[in-house]
Amino acid sequence: MQRTLATLTTLVLLSAPTLSTAQVVDDANVKLLEAYDTVKVSTIPDGIYLRTVNDPDDIIWERLPEYRVAMLPAPAVHQSVELRVNYDAEPSYLNMTLARTSDRFYVRLRWVDDTKDTETAFDRFRDGAAVQFSMGNDETSYMMGDGPDSAVNIWYWRSGSDTVQNLAAGGPGSTTMLDEQPVSGESDYLDKDGDPNEWTVVMSRPIDAAGDHNVSLTRETVPMAFAVWQGAEKERDGFKRVSDGWIMLDMGSE
Amino acid sequence: MAVKRQLSMVLDLNKCIGCHTCTSACKLQWTNRNGREYMYWNNVETRPGTGYPKNFHEMGGGFDQDGALRIGKEPSAEDYGVPWEYNYEEALMTGTDPWLRPNVKPTWGANWDEDEGEGDYPNSYYFYLPRLCNHCENPACLAACSRNAIYKRQEDGIVLIDQERCRGYRYCVSACPYKKVYFNEEISKSEKCIFCYPRIEKGLPTACAKQCVGRIRWIGYRDDEDGPIHTLVDKYKVALPLYPEMGTKPNVFYVPPLSPPKIDEAGGATAESRVPLDYLESLFGDGVSAALETITAERAKKAEGGESELMDTLIGYRHAEMFKLS
Repeated sequence: MQRTLATLTTLVLLSAPTLSTAQVVDDANVKLLEAYDTVKVSTIPDGIYLRTVNDPDDIIWERLPEYRVAMLPAPAVHQSVELRVNYDAEPSYLNMTLARTSDRFYVRLRWVDDTKDTETAFDRFRDGAAVQFSMGNDETSYMMGDGPDSAVNIWYWRSGSDTVQNLAAGGPGSTTMLDEQPVSGESDYLDKDGDPNEWTVVMSRPIDAAGDHNVSLTRETVPMAFAVWQGAEKERDGFKRVSDGWIMLDMGSE
Repeated sequence: MAVKRQLSMVLDLNKCIGCHTCTSACKLQWTNRNGREYMYWNNVETRPGTGYPKNFHEMGGGFDQDGALRIGKEPSAEDYGVPWEYNYEEALMTGTDPWLRPNVKPTWGANWDEDEGEGDYPNSYYFYLPRLCNHCENPACLAACSRNAIYKRQEDGIVLIDQERCRGYRYCVSACPYKKVYFNEEISKSEKCIFCYPRIEKGLPTACAKQCVGRIRWIGYRDDEDGPIHTLVDKYKVALPLYPEMGTKPNVFYVPPLSPPKIDEAGGATAESRVPLDYLESLFGDGVSAALETITAERAKKAEGGESELMDTLIGYRHAEMFKLS
């Protein structure tokens, strides 16, 4: 993606109200979202570009509001998960920034993970994160959809390669790779002295994307949900942490 | 899981000479490439011994007495043994390396404890146990898969992993109490013995059975009352499943090994068999004693010049009678 020298200057002049807040958003200023809360997707004006299309460390992210959701072990829907899940686990938190340009939608995720697991090997699993969109409204089950007519579109990032899989599901166990793969992503693992280490992942897709199971982002409201996998805990599949219910995206105008 | 027909295999441990021809046949056919190098869909292990992968029987899996899936351990690379290659080219052809040596330090392998067995002379003992996927009636791998990627074919009961559906979660690897599902690191999917179904569909026996020089393997449908499986498993009850307590109902059966008597301090034969009965029962359950008695009696009949359907079957005169694939 092209780089604009004017990026910094233009950012300062942006009129969005969120940009008048502190330069670095610390967690105290990050709003904790509850299920079914509505979040306005921030607009990045045309002419402003990230250094690379999914740059997780771009200065733009510091100018946009960040939100967070509590992440808890997903309710087991299969006995293989039931055998492994620990429902007594303390909640963890996933931070997110939601943004769009006139033609592209971005989600930036940030979460604490002290162990960097980037390899699939015997008895080893990778860290991962996914966002899920309801193809319909918020009556679709946030647990992977419910049936072919109430499907969800999932963007799945797994550490070790910045490939983002574009998937669809109509209920647990039905996750299917789609023919069209319009989602891209990039990640960064911050090894922080003294502080807990963090993953930052950006995934993005053109607003317009053809294909039966690519979520329509031209709607006013899009239900979205979140999942993370801790490789060191051998999390995979439905053995993961998820946000509760849907977060309702207000897509705003172009 | 009810299927229309079930293909099964019987292996006579009295006849296995531990030559590994079955393993070689399987490996050349299916697993010498593409991330499968470490896998032995068929292996032959020495018993008593650790088995392959190392101490797999202590890794859990299978079902508990109430039929609930039990969690199991996923073996490490070391448990299987990291495959190694030799520098034949450099050491023997170009002469650029004075030593023939492996490219990784060998510390364990599928037959590291081969022929060790147990006991002291003159009562030391061991026997060979060839193992493959049991194509179970109640497969723990299938029950453990959250994606329905594992299925059991209606026409012959062969258990397969749909490579399109598999996403490499490895619940199957930990759930199989026989550790006969393997994770392919190169493709991030699990793979296993396919009972040579492309051969079966052409009316041919599996590679391991066809190549067996000891002629220890019979293949056929369980419901074929004229076939060898029915004769050995149901009629004479001399072929038994491995670790039946794991609850998966295997369709591979073993004729347990007879052994000469234990020798006492004076050098005389005792009433005990060299291979302890309780050890065999720990492998094949409580049918061992009756099976060994039946074989002993039928063998005596044949030795005295009499007729024995069981012995004629176990001798395996003709491949056509050992493999009944229709």
